[in-house]
Amino acid sequence: MALTLKQQLSSPGGILKFLVKYNTIFIFILLVIFSALISDVFFTSVNLSNLLKQVSGIGIISIGMLIVILTGGIDLSVGSMVALLAVTFAILINIFIAPVAILLTIAIGFGLGSISGYLVAYQKMAPFVATLALMTIARGMGFIYSKGSPVTFTTVGGQFMSDFANNSTLGIPNIAIVFFLIVIMAMVMLRYNVFGRLIIAIGSNEEASRLSGIKVNKYKFLVYAISGALAATAAIIVASRTNLGSPNMGMAWELDAIAAVVIGGASLNGGRGTAINTLMGVLILGLIGNILNLLNVPSYPQQVVKGAIIIFAVLLQRFESK
Amino acid sequence: MKNSEYEYRLEMTGISKSFGVVSVLKNVNLKVKKGEIHALLGENGAGKSTLIKILSGVHQKDSGSVVLDGTEITPKNTHQGQILGINVVYQELSLVNDLSVAENIYLHKLGANKTWMNWKGLIQDAQELLDSLGFKIDASVKVKQLSIVQKQVVEIAKAISEDTKVLVLDEPTTVFDPNDIQKLFKILFKLKAQGVSIIYISHHLDEVFTIADAVTVLRDGVDTGSMPIAETDKDGVIRLMIGRELKDLYPKRDVKIGDVPVFEVKNLTAKDTMVHNVSFNVKPGEVLGIAGLGGSGRTETAKLIFGADKKKSGTLILEGEEIKTNSPVDAAGYQIGFVSEDRKEEGVFLPLSIRRNISVTSFDSISSKLGFINIEHEYKKVLNLIEKLNIKTPNSEVDVKNLSGGNQQKVALAKWLSIDSKVIFIDEPTRGVDVGAKIEIYNLINEVAKKGVGVVVISSDMPEIMGISDRILVMHEGTLYGELKKEQFSEENILRYSIGEPLKAI
Ligand SMILES: Nc1ncnc2c1ncn2[C@@H]1O[C@H](COP(=O)(O)OP(=O)(O)OP(=O)(O)O)[C@@H](O)[C@H]1O
Ligand SMILES: [Mg+2]
Repeated sequence: MALTLKQQLSSPGGILKFLVKYNTIFIFILLVIFSALISDVFFTSVNLSNLLKQVSGIGIISIGMLIVILTGGIDLSVGSMVALLAVTFAILINIFIAPVAILLTIAIGFGLGSISGYLVAYQKMAPFVATLALMTIARGMGFIYSKGSPVTFTTVGGQFMSDFANNSTLGIPNIAIVFFLIVIMAMVMLRYNVFGRLIIAIGSNEEASRLSGIKVNKYKFLVYAISGALAATAAIIVASRTNLGSPNMGMAWELDAIAAVVIGGASLNGGRGTAINTLMGVLILGLIGNILNLLNVPSYPQQVVKGAIIIFAVLLQRFESK
Repeated sequence: MKNSEYEYRLEMTGISKSFGVVSVLKNVNLKVKKGEIHALLGENGAGKSTLIKILSGVHQKDSGSVVLDGTEITPKNTHQGQILGINVVYQELSLVNDLSVAENIYLHKLGANKTWMNWKGLIQDAQELLDSLGFKIDASVKVKQLSIVQKQVVEIAKAISEDTKVLVLDEPTTVFDPNDIQKLFKILFKLKAQGVSIIYISHHLDEVFTIADAVTVLRDGVDTGSMPIAETDKDGVIRLMIGRELKDLYPKRDVKIGDVPVFEVKNLTAKDTMVHNVSFNVKPGEVLGIAGLGGSGRTETAKLIFGADKKKSGTLILEGEEIKTNSPVDAAGYQIGFVSEDRKEEGVFLPLSIRRNISVTSFDSISSKLGFINIEHEYKKVLNLIEKLNIKTPNSEVDVKNLSGGNQQKVALAKWLSIDSKVIFIDEPTRGVDVGAKIEIYNLINEVAKKGVGVVVISSDMPEIMGISDRILVMHEGTLYGELKKEQFSEENILRYSIGEPLKAI
């Protein structure tokens, strides 16, 4: 509705509605205030930049997850893909100069994603099943290529990548800049590009899309391929941060990515969700981890809190859609 | 029960309702007697469905009272409504596609008092119910295999049960052919004789004047009148509905029809449906009607041409050249359009805004090579269409699911009628659209035809198809049975061909 902010606030129940509508941003702000009050380390630049570095990898695959979920699908393979592609990148950076290694890794990610895309779009396989299979395959291949142990960067190119990944520009970590750029690109594509419009249309009514002459299969294929390419980008970032590619990387990241997208208000049935809200979802999850770490809460209770937050966020959204 | 104590079985008094800041019902009254068929009329968006949903418990009223058999009721959900004896056939189908017909019919009763179901008995009961209604439907098949007409019958079957006190039908006949309508009327008369009160919503005034005992009219959320049907006539209710007189439902056309067909179909036969040996052509500027009974293969023929169903054999010729349409993408590429009769499942995107719905087919004209959309252009185009089709909405950003049924239909049409086509197939163009808005749609169809497009209209509404077509093809059992020229148009002739009989010799 094109009501102005003022109208929304003044209509009966307006403030509540407003808060519910923008609940992810609202939760995020609350969490920031809460964190700042509870810990004096929180608002230090070291902590904030650490936080951003920690969320960037998962953030990037969350964007891929978002576009897949918008079509009504799901991509369970992204976590394992990060592992396989991190190993791949570590091997490649020891052979080729950095730009070539980067491009090759992204191309391989795109190719692996295309396999899921092909199975879902053209073989009509359920997304859950196709990407579950890919998840197992990618994890296994990561172990095979790395022979079970991490592959370290050894060349100048590797050093360059590691410097890039650990440095900041204007106070913002470089890898967070990459993440933010990807978020902005996704925002623009979803709002102003035909691609975004069509995948949302497909997610909200596939049959109507087909009968509107939309190339449904092509777009369903593409979202998985793009998710693969974004998994590759995340893999390059996390490998460069630690100077190595390990087959144990990205463990259960697909679940965090799904959580971030869902906290961001997207519907798992497809057709609803935005990049900015997914960004909020990623930051909220990261923030919770960060505060709990600052408060020295051990990792198992952390998981319980995370789970509770997911339930809370989704309950709020159900209220909104009424 | 001493129902006779009360003059009215159902009294809704002073009902008001708003959604957010939009006030939809203002102080509305509706009073229905026992064993009465009461028509509820009004333009698209007047508030008919909302009033019904308040009665049944889908929505909660802001103020007013609902009294059933002398007791005030406030159902909080549809389940409570059903227990009170209020059953509704909603405007939009709400069946579970993956369950069987029988399960759907008894869905609200499943598990009510027993833990274990007797499946065989369930299917048998459902079959008996369907047979008694006079429609041929297999109770054991899944709902997704049914045609839209059959789905509508299942909805009606679902709403009929022994303890119904008030039965509401919200535009039940929009997909029915005259035969089906007669069957429905028979059912309604039987229920009426049993003392059931029936609220009947329809935009087909002929139907209303055939079966209703009384009528209540809404306009913009206000009731503008309520009277026994004998005290009014069609013009009378139209005046109450739209506040003015209505002339010439079917606008005059002076379109020059071309000589050379723009589109031709030869011996088209389907792989999976009963459509066979269909041959016809349509000329530029021509409005070609396709009539026939429900299930005669009209929709299937259009879907076949559009590439949505698989073909076995046959040739399509567009502007003199043979084309192949193996998918809707191919068809759309050749500028062939198709508006589905099933707007909820196949026509609109309910969770998306009007703007996003309409522009989905027209990105070629409003976006750059790289796919970036010219938003200003998009708004202009969409707002223009909203105005032209008189879509009742505060703005273009409202989700289509929040529009009234008839306004959703206009969105589905706008999507295709706003782009350049060579041939366009429109299946039930005015399904659920009010009398006034029908004229807008007919005008738009004429405008499209004027551009030299071949327009093929499928319709079960006899006066409509005769009113707007230049020529009518009649289908019977999967193939074209006959063709009627303008001077041969009559309900009798269409019906004869529909049931596979030759015309009477003159
Ligand atoms: N959930 C909702 N949220 C906001 N607006 C709504 C909602 N449901 C209905 N409306 C609005 O209420 C008005 C009345 O709608 P309603 O569906 O009752 O009309 P109707 O008389 O049944 O029309 P039609 O003949 O087209 O079915 C419309 O303007 C519609 O846009
Ligand atoms: Mg309605």
